[in-house]
Amino acid sequence: MATPIIMPRQGISVETCIITEWHKKKGDRVEVGDILFSYETDKASFEEEAKESGVLLEIFYGADQEVPVLTPVGVIGEPGEDITPFLPGAPAAPAAGAGTGAAADTADTAANAPTTADAAAAAPAQASPAAAAEVKISPRARNLAQKHHVDVRYAVPTGPEGRVIERDVQKLIETGPKVTPAAEAEYAALGKPVAGTGIGGRVTTKDLQAPAAAPADSTAAAPAQIPAVIEYEDQPLPNIRKLIAKAMHQSLANSAQLTLNTSFDATAILEYRKQLKAAPEGFGLENITINDLILFAVARTLVKHPALNAHFLDNTLRVFKNAHLGIAVDTDRGLMVPTLFNANLKSLNELAQQAKRLISQAKSGSINPDELQGGTFTVTNLGTLGIESFTPILNPPQTGILGVCAVEYKVKPVNGEYIHYPSMTLSLTIDHRAVDGAPAARFLQELKQNLENFPLLLAK
Amino acid sequence: MTYDLIIIGGGPAGYLAGERAGAAGLKTLVIEERFLGGVCLNEGCIPSKTLLHSAKIYDYARFSEKYGVTAENVKYDHAQVIKRKNKVVKTLVGGINSKLKALKVDVANATAKILGRTSEGFQVAAGDQVYTGKRLLIATGSSAIIPPITGAKEGFAAGFVLTNREILDLDSVPGSLVVIGGGVIGLEMAAYFNSVGSKVTVIEMLDHIAGQTDRDIANLLLKTYQKKGVTFHLSSRVTEIKADGVVFEANGKQEYVPADKVLMSVGRRPNTAGVGLETIGVELARGAIKVDEYGQTNVPGVWAAGDVNGYSMLAHTAYREAEVCINNMLGKRDIMRYDAIPAVIYTNPEVAGVGETEESCRAKGIDYEAVNISMRYSGRYVAENEGGDGICKVLINKRYRNVIGVHMIGNPASEIIYGAAMLIESEMRLEDIKELVFPHPTVSEIIREAIFEF
Repeated sequence: MATPIIMPRQGISVETCIITEWHKKKGDRVEVGDILFSYETDKASFEEEAKESGVLLEIFYGADQEVPVLTPVGVIGEPGEDITPFLPGAPAAPAAGAGTGAAADTADTAANAPTTADAAAAAPAQASPAAAAEVKISPRARNLAQKHHVDVRYAVPTGPEGRVIERDVQKLIETGPKVTPAAEAEYAALGKPVAGTGIGGRVTTKDLQAPAAAPADSTAAAPAQIPAVIEYEDQPLPNIRKLIAKAMHQSLANSAQLTLNTSFDATAILEYRKQLKAAPEGFGLENITINDLILFAVARTLVKHPALNAHFLDNTLRVFKNAHLGIAVDTDRGLMVPTLFNANLKSLNELAQQAKRLISQAKSGSINPDELQGGTFTVTNLGTLGIESFTPILNPPQTGILGVCAVEYKVKPVNGEYIHYPSMTLSLTIDHRAVDGAPAARFLQELKQNLENFPLLLAK
Repeated sequence: MTYDLIIIGGGPAGYLAGERAGAAGLKTLVIEERFLGGVCLNEGCIPSKTLLHSAKIYDYARFSEKYGVTAENVKYDHAQVIKRKNKVVKTLVGGINSKLKALKVDVANATAKILGRTSEGFQVAAGDQVYTGKRLLIATGSSAIIPPITGAKEGFAAGFVLTNREILDLDSVPGSLVVIGGGVIGLEMAAYFNSVGSKVTVIEMLDHIAGQTDRDIANLLLKTYQKKGVTFHLSSRVTEIKADGVVFEANGKQEYVPADKVLMSVGRRPNTAGVGLETIGVELARGAIKVDEYGQTNVPGVWAAGDVNGYSMLAHTAYREAEVCINNMLGKRDIMRYDAIPAVIYTNPEVAGVGETEESCRAKGIDYEAVNISMRYSGRYVAENEGGDGICKVLINKRYRNVIGVHMIGNPASEIIYGAAMLIESEMRLEDIKELVFPHPTVSEIIREAIFEF
């Protein structure tokens, strides 16, 4: 019997996922465990395996489409089997499995059933314009449309629930009305978008002349040393990159960030780490890293400085009882920040185990999206890459982020003699709206003391 | 009372803005001191067309031998014509009233004065009420200019000198009429009173009539009306208005024309005084409110549309300007373009034009090509205009081969010109227009004929 392929729900906070790639084509035979398609949430990416063997009878949503979770995205069965009960927009089949309820909800709200890839190709070349406010459009499509100054009202929606998606805008850019007949040839030759001021935003001949072309005598200028061909490649931004870009920019745009630097004598933690490595195997402590020691010290210190273990909201400072540490992880897809909940309540070993799991799941992309939020303070470590000092960017609404830098050797006078010692720099960025410089400095001071006297901290 | 939008002035810009804003759900107040519809509906476009239509019927009745029709005892009842005009105006004003009412737009019949601004919005006094508006649209229109000529003020006070407002309410046809200013209003009134029996003299300061109209067409119109009996004095300056006539200077010589009435139609001035614009710091430029391409003034939240911005002083321009303002208020980016605004003179024959003229092309340095053909290329024109000698001129931009100007003299040019405006506004090239189908037989085919002459 034909079985729907359901878009899984990844964590309770995820409403929709974007299909990034289908690894099987319509008509392919698939076996249980074959990878059917890749998809991503706004924070992580995943692969969906086939749960049934059979033929991939239909694909409802193509690559780049955003799909509500628990919605059928395709059907596996044997050729000739009826797939209509699973069509988006069809009433839910009584025995369609766990996803039925949600699928029906989506179907009910769908004004226009999403078209299959085949049907989309047959769609009319151009739609009559809808009112702008009524246009349902994906953010990607909107960005593209804005970049090219096309009027999205003219796009033929082929996305789920009648949404205009990227390919519709692409099509509009290729065929749609955005330039007057007279301006067309020169506009095409211009090779760059021009803001249209004609009917419906069309580019007119006037617009072509608007950016007053450089005067003809520019040839008189000294010949510039410009290579004949400038080679480049335009790489479309993956979803996660766009999210990071937006988050970083918003962070800097919307808060008052101040970075304080200090350094501490790392002799104690390096010594302690040596002891851990040397511990008998039975203890299972040999995998605890320097970073774990720092996380441990941060978590214990943080709870005594509530303004830094907090969220700065519109008119409130939400102060957390326990420290939920965000750990910045460098992954192939980009920066991810899993959360180590209740870090201050864990033993050093528990903390280290959990950090290890979170980091490895973030790197493999298998992390539960619910573990990618909820942090109250973030630790980011560039020390392994030799960085000596930097200005971390806050992860709003958090009020603090600690940058951990590389071990360097410094000298200091002890009893009239200069001795050298390992030193590490800590770069703390705070939101000055929430915390002043002095309290932030006091946090650093206490953290420094705890790290320099690590065994004592453990005893507390 | 707080409104999303207060519109000062209920003319074409004001009432149309009211309709659009009301339809979009903005809580809107229109303040009008006289009658909804403004100059256009009450003392301009509509009443003058009503009069001119009666004159045209009168002309047909008297001069139709060439069509094989004769009529005897043809009489013109000016009082009846004015009565009908008032009925037409009343019907249309009533229409605007009920439309605004249906859209839940409030109307205050009082003189508006801006008092200033508070944190709530702009405060506007009207009658004994003070209203607050989050936004303001200034659509106060324009008034006929009475120039500082000796005797002009006194003549106006005595009812001897008239403007467009008074002349449409004359209870009888004057024996002689001197029209000062041979622009659109002057020519239409000259045409009307010439048809209904006045001896009409037009005195124009420039060496041509009809302002910006294509020069060939203006000259043809001049000849046509000279033949119909109107006297024109071009390059002439009025120096004094006496109690029974007008003194003017031409080629250094003083001349005098007696008159029963004088029409002053030398131009119009934006109504910016007494509105309280200075209380909120609205910037003026040469007596008009300065606006950007979105219709916004220098004061955020204050917009202006229609004659008061001094751009084009035409009702249809005002409509579009008002829509641009409302669209932008509602967050929909919309730009006012002035490249394809049709202009019509409702003489008989009608003159209509849109876009660039040969004169404007030369001034702007546009590389153009023009085709000038007789209206007799249109079968329908020949059938209906015995002895007609109208012309149609089409201009293209040589670089893009698109139509940039269309000008014609011949009936019914006023009803055809919008099509030409569409060709220009959409920047269609000759080759695109050649694919369009025009209904046959119509006079509009003249445009198609001209296109194929390139």
